[in-house]
Amino acid sequence: MLSLYRLPGNIKDEKVLKIYRRDFFVLFKKVLFFLVLSILPALLFYWIAVNFDEFIFQGAISYSLSIIFTSSYYIFIWLFFFFSFIDYYLDVWIITNERIIDIQQKGFFSRIISEQRLYRIQDVTSEVHGFFPTVFKYGNVYVQTAGSKQRFFFNEIPNPENVRDTIIKLIERHKRIHNK
Amino acid sequence: MSFPLYYILILYLSFLIVWAVFSFVAFYHMLKYGFRNFTTFFIIIIYILISVFLLMLSFRYLGEIDWQVNVAIFDNIFNNDFPYQ
Repeated sequence: MLSLYRLPGNIKDEKVLKIYRRDFFVLFKKVLFFLVLSILPALLFYWIAVNFDEFIFQGAISYSLSIIFTSSYYIFIWLFFFFSFIDYYLDVWIITNERIIDIQQKGFFSRIISEQRLYRIQDVTSEVHGFFPTVFKYGNVYVQTAGSKQRFFFNEIPNPENVRDTIIKLIERHKRIHNK
Repeated sequence: MSFPLYYILILYLSFLIVWAVFSFVAFYHMLKYGFRNFTTFFIIIIYILISVFLLMLSFRYLGEIDWQVNVAIFDNIFNNDFPYQ
């Protein structure tokens, strides 16, 4: 398990300052999607009962098939929601006084952990783009580092401007301490 | 052609086995890569409780069905007794 006291590639005297996940609204959208999926069988059965013979579910085969279909559907919907939640829950950005750690869970069999030391960071950009991100104040933060490596990417995190300010302040403090 | 209704139940059980395997994979990921905190354990417990509820509800309804009934399909497919003859 991931412990805040034993981060990947632990550095001496390192302190965890902030932990970010995607904004809560992103999770809310997932919940809403699965709620819509969960009422679909009820609507389907209602539509069949209204448009076809009301005794259609009373036969031995049709009744057993409808029970099995409904049960399988809900059990798998619940499982997919759990998968979706894990995808949300295991994507984490950790800011420490020494570095930024990006942990991304891509499906079940791919996990990417990358880090950038604060002294390598050259530019931090925040972006809020779209109606819902503007209303609910979430967006992306791009961290550009020295070298040819790709930009670091905080995806759909709450208050991206504050995150950008935090990183910039940390970089300045880090430079002051190490330039003394 | 006919077959006992419990053949459908065997299909359903194989479905449940696949579901159980994926659930264990999900637990493994939560426990291995999630933070060691209350939230991780709480989420797993909620998942188990709701799963047990769904399975118990399913088994209650499935228990009411007589699975020994034979199901006949395609019985009249080669029926030549056309009504106009």
